[in-house]
Amino acid sequence: MPLKHEFHYDLDPSMLPANGTVSFDKTGQVMSEIGDTTLCSLNAKDMTELSVNGEVGCGFLFAKMKDESEVLICRFTLSCMKSAGEFCKVVNFYIQTKQYVNPEKRQLPVCQKCGRPLVEGMSVCLFCFNRIGVLKRALGLLRPFAAKMIPAEIFLAISSILYLLVPFFSRILIDNHLRPMEGTHTQIIVLAGAMFLARALGELIYILSSRIFNQASILYANNLRNLAYEKIQKLSLNSLSKRTPGDLIRRVMEDTGIVRNFISDGGRWAIEQMIVFVVVLIILLLTNWQLTLLVFIPVPVVSIALSRFWRFIRIRYERQWRKSSRAQSILHDIIKGIRTVKSFGKEDLEIEKFSKATTELAEVSSDNEALWALLFPTMIFFTGIGEFLVLYFGGQEILTGSLTLGVLVQFTMYIGYIYGPLRWLVSFPRWLADAMTSMVKLFEIIDEEPEIISVEDPNNVSLSGRVAFENVSFGYKSYEPVLKGIDLDIKPGEMIGIVGRSGAGKSTMINLIMRLYDPSQGKITINGVDIKDMSPEYLHENIGVVFQDTFLFAGSFYDNIAYAKPGATADEVIAAAKAANAHDFIMQTADGYNTIIGENGYSISGGERQRLAIARAIIKNPSILILDEATSSLDVETESIIQDSLNTIVEGRTTIAIAHRLSTLKSADRLVVLDQGKVAELGTHIELLKKKGIYYNLVMAQRKTSKIAEDV
Amino acid sequence: MEKSTLEAQTLASAIDIGMIDLKIAEFYVTPGGFTGLRYGENDHNRITLRRAFPIGNPEEYISVADKTNKEIGMIRSLSELTKKQYEIVVSELEKRYYSPTVFEVKSVKDKLGYVYMELLIGKEGAKYKKNCAIKDVNKNIRMLDDDKLAIFDVDGNRYIVESLVNLDKKSLKRLEPYLF
Ligand SMILES: Nc1ncnc2c1ncn2[C@@H]1O[C@H](COP(=O)(O)OP(=O)(O)OP(=O)(O)O)[C@@H](O)[C@H]1O
Ligand SMILES: [Mg+2]
Repeated sequence: MPLKHEFHYDLDPSMLPANGTVSFDKTGQVMSEIGDTTLCSLNAKDMTELSVNGEVGCGFLFAKMKDESEVLICRFTLSCMKSAGEFCKVVNFYIQTKQYVNPEKRQLPVCQKCGRPLVEGMSVCLFCFNRIGVLKRALGLLRPFAAKMIPAEIFLAISSILYLLVPFFSRILIDNHLRPMEGTHTQIIVLAGAMFLARALGELIYILSSRIFNQASILYANNLRNLAYEKIQKLSLNSLSKRTPGDLIRRVMEDTGIVRNFISDGGRWAIEQMIVFVVVLIILLLTNWQLTLLVFIPVPVVSIALSRFWRFIRIRYERQWRKSSRAQSILHDIIKGIRTVKSFGKEDLEIEKFSKATTELAEVSSDNEALWALLFPTMIFFTGIGEFLVLYFGGQEILTGSLTLGVLVQFTMYIGYIYGPLRWLVSFPRWLADAMTSMVKLFEIIDEEPEIISVEDPNNVSLSGRVAFENVSFGYKSYEPVLKGIDLDIKPGEMIGIVGRSGAGKSTMINLIMRLYDPSQGKITINGVDIKDMSPEYLHENIGVVFQDTFLFAGSFYDNIAYAKPGATADEVIAAAKAANAHDFIMQTADGYNTIIGENGYSISGGERQRLAIARAIIKNPSILILDEATSSLDVETESIIQDSLNTIVEGRTTIAIAHRLSTLKSADRLVVLDQGKVAELGTHIELLKKKGIYYNLVMAQRKTSKIAEDV
Repeated sequence: MEKSTLEAQTLASAIDIGMIDLKIAEFYVTPGGFTGLRYGENDHNRITLRRAFPIGNPEEYISVADKTNKEIGMIRSLSELTKKQYEIVVSELEKRYYSPTVFEVKSVKDKLGYVYMELLIGKEGAKYKKNCAIKDVNKNIRMLDDDKLAIFDVDGNRYIVESLVNLDKKSLKRLEPYLF
């Protein structure tokens, strides 16, 4: 059977689940079937376009026919949205070119182990990923600190063994010198001294090892923190905007701390306790194996109970994490938006919102603590039951004479030591739960595949060539296209103006040129080279951009202008400021270029902020200049002053300017009118006016408003 | 609506929010399977219906837009429609807002920041099982009001728990860790 293009969909016309297929064969026939019923059958030759429409929680595929009618082909849930888009591409290619692309079997990425399809953007299968794996990674990151950790561990082992000598001396004291009561003073003093020494030395060595450990763990946490921070810088806007700033801050600052504690304290304890446990166990077994076994009677029961609690506890701690992250997010938002909060007089509302979040956090935490406070002593009590059995049976053996008092004392002392690790095992799940939650959150960031991938071997051609959009489509969400098949050719040195309704996708085009996102279809080339083949750093260095929402950093005017070009000379900074007409207002301030502007630049006016942003964009002498509403907050006079000076530097540079105020674009060579994600009109001001289309209407509308202004 | 302060009323009377004159409007099903609207002289052969308040008030303030997404006008309340018209409009709305009800949560697994749920969803009389993966549970499992819960999966599909109070105990227990 010849292969056909197929698109599988999952809803029937009444929105119930179904296994439907739309097929597209060589003759151009598009057929939608569920089982044996054909829902519709059309030929692509009669269509002008096959199109997908995203709805709320679902979508549909429909054909636009040559007779202007539209025919529904099928409906589906959002899970099918992407493949529906792919299917449309193939059919539309056929409609436009009459060429049938041969279908090939395409392989979805699946897990090697279990065969389940991988979630988009993840390289590990979530079903096969295990706790041990996470732990191993966290430990793997410890390797650079091994040089410090290993001696610390050795010291720790020595100190533990010194402690273990104490019961041994006790037994000698009791059995050899006290019980028959024939010991001499010196013998007792020597033994007591030995006990004292073992203790003191043990303590000293312990302090030493703690110090080394802490140092190493602080470095380790720092390492983790930088790793997470670096990753956040590299991640695409797309994945970052899915998380709140509070969430990210928490991951970088707090989770690293928790992991550090776990590694430093937990790691140290684990090893210490392990040594103690093994050594003591051997001693106990050698002394009296029957009594030893009694100690372990409650252990299986407790372990089973623990493993049952594990999941329960973990979910609770996860929840606590989320509550805490939420409280932080709220705090972050409010502090960032404090101006808006205050100007609407909503302080009380925000206080309430935050206190609700913190109260909830407190409730969850206190619930968790309460549970823990109950669980912990109960577990300890049950683990300790064996001790009573030992006393009972050991006591009887002493009475029958088969055991000496010294041995029993030594035995019970050692039991005390062995219960340490056992009890520690009880509290371990909680530690682990806490640390695991944080580790997973951290690795989630660290492991996230950057969506913008830089090529190995970048082809960094000069950016002074032509910039071309070739059939570029893009949507922030795969099911909501913002740009649909944009074709645009910008000549070197040309000034292009982009106009269009708010939300038409103008800024989105800029985001794509800057490669903050990659197009889902088509490509953008500069000088004939796909920008994906250049290194993003090179691209960003050579494009000067003023974004619509200007962000200034806390720092001086000087710092903010020189931000784009560290090491810029004073001449350059002043020249840039002058070109952007910022020099004059900067000089009005007492500290001139050293004046500190607050975070977001709130301490200066909106227009001043824009002028600084322009200065920042032009200081690096970019080959391509992008101005997204860069002068929208300026009065017309200042704007035209800036434009005059821009005109002199813009010469020979490709410039892309977006503006709603059409007068801003008067010096543009050509204008692009974006409408509904497509290039609706393209041409010079005069050409577009003659066309009497969207642009003409925009101009007329603006004339009308300026007329009103004149009349007043 | 909840708010009807004096200011709001005066604003509403000052600005025309463009209600559709239902006397000259006729919704119909097109041969292509879409919903169309004959409105006065105009015939729109594919309209999009949008709820202004899909969560709190899905039956009122319905926006009617044409193919190019330009609003033709709004319907203040579905109850103003005749029975036949009502059926056409509601059936179109139900197709646009696809959010199956969750009847049961069969299992929940939590792995590396993703939560996997096996749900029994659909509508009364047509229930079926669905496996879904949810990322960022903070954002994607959220309360719509005191008792109503929405779950968004990685693909963007949404599932609604109409009433947590009426959900069976086991399901509730499985969901509990993710509720805020
Ligand atoms: N980060 C984002 N995530 C999701 N959607 C976005 C994002 N940024 C923009 N959008 C959406 O994409 C569409 C196009 O936005 P864009 O910013 O390109 O518009 P614009 O033409 O620049 O509008 P304006 O003139 O108002 O600046 C809008 O519908 C907007 O809501
Ligand atoms: Mg914009």
